[in-house]
Amino acid sequence: MDITVHFPIIIVLIGIFASFIIPAANLYKIKIGEIISLASIALMFVLGIYLRIQLAIDGPFTYHIGGWPAPWGIEFKVDYLGAYMVLIITGIGFLTLFYATKDLAHDLTENAQGIYYPLYILLIAAMAGMAITNDIFNLFVLLEVSLLSSVAIICIKENEATIEASLKYLILNALGSAAVLLGIALLYMITGHLNMTFIAVELQEVYPQYMNVIIAAMALFLVGFGVKAALFPMHVWLPDAHGSAPSPSSAVLSGLVIKIYTVSLIRIYFQVIPRAVITAIPIMEIVLWLAAIGIILGSMFAIVQDDIKKLLAYSSVAQIGYVFLGISLMSFTGFQGGLIHILNHAFIKAMLFLSAGVIIYSTGLRKINDLKGIGFKLPFTMTCFTLGGIAMIGIPGTNGFISKWYLALGALEAGRPIFVLVLLVSSMLNGVYYLPIIVNSFFGETPEGFDKLKIDPVPWQMKFTLLVLAFGVVFFGIFPSLPLGILESATEYIYGS
Amino acid sequence: MKVELSAIVNNYHYLFALTLFLIGSYTMLTHPNLIKKIIGLNIMETSVFLLFVSTGYVEGGGAPIIHGEAAVGAYVNPVPHALILTGIVIAISITALALSLIIKIYEYYGTLDTDEISRLRR
Repeated sequence: MDITVHFPIIIVLIGIFASFIIPAANLYKIKIGEIISLASIALMFVLGIYLRIQLAIDGPFTYHIGGWPAPWGIEFKVDYLGAYMVLIITGIGFLTLFYATKDLAHDLTENAQGIYYPLYILLIAAMAGMAITNDIFNLFVLLEVSLLSSVAIICIKENEATIEASLKYLILNALGSAAVLLGIALLYMITGHLNMTFIAVELQEVYPQYMNVIIAAMALFLVGFGVKAALFPMHVWLPDAHGSAPSPSSAVLSGLVIKIYTVSLIRIYFQVIPRAVITAIPIMEIVLWLAAIGIILGSMFAIVQDDIKKLLAYSSVAQIGYVFLGISLMSFTGFQGGLIHILNHAFIKAMLFLSAGVIIYSTGLRKINDLKGIGFKLPFTMTCFTLGGIAMIGIPGTNGFISKWYLALGALEAGRPIFVLVLLVSSMLNGVYYLPIIVNSFFGETPEGFDKLKIDPVPWQMKFTLLVLAFGVVFFGIFPSLPLGILESATEYIYGS
Repeated sequence: MKVELSAIVNNYHYLFALTLFLIGSYTMLTHPNLIKKIIGLNIMETSVFLLFVSTGYVEGGGAPIIHGEAAVGAYVNPVPHALILTGIVIAISITALALSLIIKIYEYYGTLDTDEISRLRR
């Protein structure tokens, strides 16, 4: 029997099995748990590349779990967007874990370190499953797995701030989950299916009869996934949670976790709900304006922060707005721009959070005012931070420029030039809060006692991770055709040409 | 829009589920006590379970098991029940994690009142 046909499910199962094995390995030695977790994510990444190649040859294909065909069994569907997300999740997930192997010892007790790896792998596996599942209830289960494991990797560092932030995160996201489940219940009631393809076919026929039910379900999905993805008025949990978590957790939560919920929303809105319903009600208009307000206000909140990680967390609120802006513009280029920002922001934000993590690791400083002159002590780290900052602003040559370019073109294509203005204002605001940090770190007047500041040496693993992420930022900025090529097929497949 | 009374009376379980959902989310969002927030969360989740399970019910239907060849009458739909079993397990895990976090909060602040906690943090 050919093992390669089972790869879609194996990707998810590797993570789940590894998360069960690692605690046992930890009993013997934590180093072994570390190696197993790195190896399993690397394997997931390799399988992701294989699926991507398979996809390029055959086009989108489905996998039936347990050999049960679609209306009865759970189905995994590898399409362009799913394979793209699997590659981003496992790739950035691997780099962040590689960094975490050194950083965690600083933040966590030895016992907590042992638990961190299985939780992290479980989170990555659940997200990879969410990217490729085609069953709406399976999506809900994986959503809850990712919710519980992401709460756990925040509160694993025990202090007042993290415990309170993670409780807030848990309660609000549980509300979101309940809303999503209610939406699923409504769709199941009117169609009798849980498979997304079958629901879509069924809805195509019956939607004039059940217009109100479908609108209610769409509203519930918007609230549910909106809370989880931190769409503007529902973002209140994000700054605390992402700001106080250990640095590798912040990088993964900001870079990957909020994106996967956006992708789930895209799947339901564009692949399940009939297009006639989407265009009949102003739902995309609502998302568009919420995203635009989020972009501006998220940046404004970031300006007044004095903690560097809180600042980056508020910047994530603004950046997830770009993704929502792109998908709700209802134009081909805008959709592509929103999707490419998923990749670009994953690279940039992971790099920024990990640079902030290096600063905290080696100096213990996290107040922005204390960071004056830090560029001389940690030149490599601050160079990466600078690169991240200018990528956020969108200077050409970095990948942040590519997303903004496509979003602006999309706004013009949709005939909404006002959103180009939103993008410009947001770039300016990004400059307002990133540039002072960068300028002060290299040219600022150093505070008293700065020369006596103790700098712990930075391990090569952390520097290497930053180097790879920085390379990604520049590479995708200069050669954007690789992801754009993938996304053109993804957009055609989901959005239609 | 004209809604017939019989439509409401025949589908009263949906109305109950909706009422429970509203009670639950209201308690969860407005009550300052953390334990009561969790109770509100559980009421809300239960309402969704009630709605989901009631969709599978068929008046006078039996369990979907075929005895020999005499397959007669209507069957209830077992799928929602199987799904909701999973849902209940998830709700329990969320409750357990939330309660353990609340214990930690109580250790740090000595209170469960969210207003009090935000006052202490300032």
